[in-house]
Amino acid sequence: MVDSTDTSITHDEQQRDLGFCCIVAFIGMIAVWLLLMPWIPGIAKHSLQRFHLRTPSFSVWAAQFPIPSMYNFANRYKVEQYPPDFVMMILDENWRYANHFPARVITFFAGRYDFLSSKQDRWFTLKSSYRGQILESKFHLEPLEEGGYRLIRIDEVDETHE
Amino acid sequence: MNKIKKVFRRLQPARLNPPVAAYRIVQLTILVSLFWKWRFFLEANDIYANIPVEDPFFPDWLRSVTTIRLAFWGSALATGIGLITSSKLLRKTSSWLGLMGISLMCIHQGSYNDMTFVTIWWCCLWSVWLAHRMETDQQDVLMRRAAFLSRLIISLILLGGAAGKWTPEFWSGEVLFDIYFVDRDFWVFNYLRENYEPEELREIAKWYSRQVVIVETVSGIGLWMLPSRWAALIATIILSGIVLLSNKYLVSVIACLVGLACAGFFVPRRPRKADTPAPSKPENPVAG
Repeated sequence: MVDSTDTSITHDEQQRDLGFCCIVAFIGMIAVWLLLMPWIPGIAKHSLQRFHLRTPSFSVWAAQFPIPSMYNFANRYKVEQYPPDFVMMILDENWRYANHFPARVITFFAGRYDFLSSKQDRWFTLKSSYRGQILESKFHLEPLEEGGYRLIRIDEVDETHE
Repeated sequence: MNKIKKVFRRLQPARLNPPVAAYRIVQLTILVSLFWKWRFFLEANDIYANIPVEDPFFPDWLRSVTTIRLAFWGSALATGIGLITSSKLLRKTSSWLGLMGISLMCIHQGSYNDMTFVTIWWCCLWSVWLAHRMETDQQDVLMRRAAFLSRLIISLILLGGAAGKWTPEFWSGEVLFDIYFVDRDFWVFNYLRENYEPEELREIAKWYSRQVVIVETVSGIGLWMLPSRWAALIATIILSGIVLLSNKYLVSVIACLVGLACAGFFVPRRPRKADTPAPSKPENPVAG
């Protein structure tokens, strides 16, 4: 089905196109990464960490931005007015799903307004799962006197396989 | 008679330059993507200024509201210039500036999660490549490559969506039930909520979700292999379908991809074998 004349890169001297070649190779690399994600737990783990802003280095996290991830993984979040485990029995049913990058509920404009305009402490729990692999992260958003909030990662250990 | 011929020649439209036309359509749809959620960005501008979130994960300048303002307006301005300019140098420069601005949006604390900027980034990358190739005298070859690259990018983006959904929570419909069916204000879901019981809604959500997974998987794996015009048509239908059946805000994510898909419509048709003139017998310079 693929027309080879569309993709020929070195048909003759005039048609040689290194830029085209590099972009095709780059797309190919990302496609391989995506296709291997269900089968190689390390790739899924890396991607889940990316969603929770838990990649060990910002540079590595930033380098992944071209990887498309629309509505990836089952991402749930819970926002509480009290620290985790406090009055847990009452508020434990507040889980909602987020489409992707569940930390968006803290950083993106709508979530920031909905949950952080009260100038009170808030605790966020994020839980993402993919084919039995689960990543859970907890954040404390502490209000600052000068306005705004400080994000404190309070729990980064829960990583289990179902 | 000659005068009439001359007048008709003047009246004929200027010959369309397919790579320039495709490039301009992509710039126009990038602008649609950028400004579709304009009211949201206005609100975001206030919220980010009033509720900063200190997070050591992001460098200070990638949390700054000034950076996001400059990146957004810089890329919008550059794309606008790319759309209207006829200067090759300006087109190249604006394509690079657009790519840089959108790259910042993709890693800024206030916008990294919005897939709008990822799809625009891929369109900008395609634009940079095309802007540097327009001087070629092999326009047909260029247009075929531009179309191939466009459908490869669209396939990748759909594959990216599919791969993250190959998990039981999507196959059961659980995720999309909560995101769309419970309380999303959009015509499809409003209609379904009004006409079906909660248990029936769960069953509909399951099949809705499976349809999404299958369409994204099949098109992600196969779209790039189709002939240019078919790929352009099918991509346009699939992408429009995603918007019509999920939510209007996805226009910002999808519009630029529809523009990119349109590159396929500019690929020149290949002459049929019967139309191709038979090669003439080479003349023998010695003979005669």
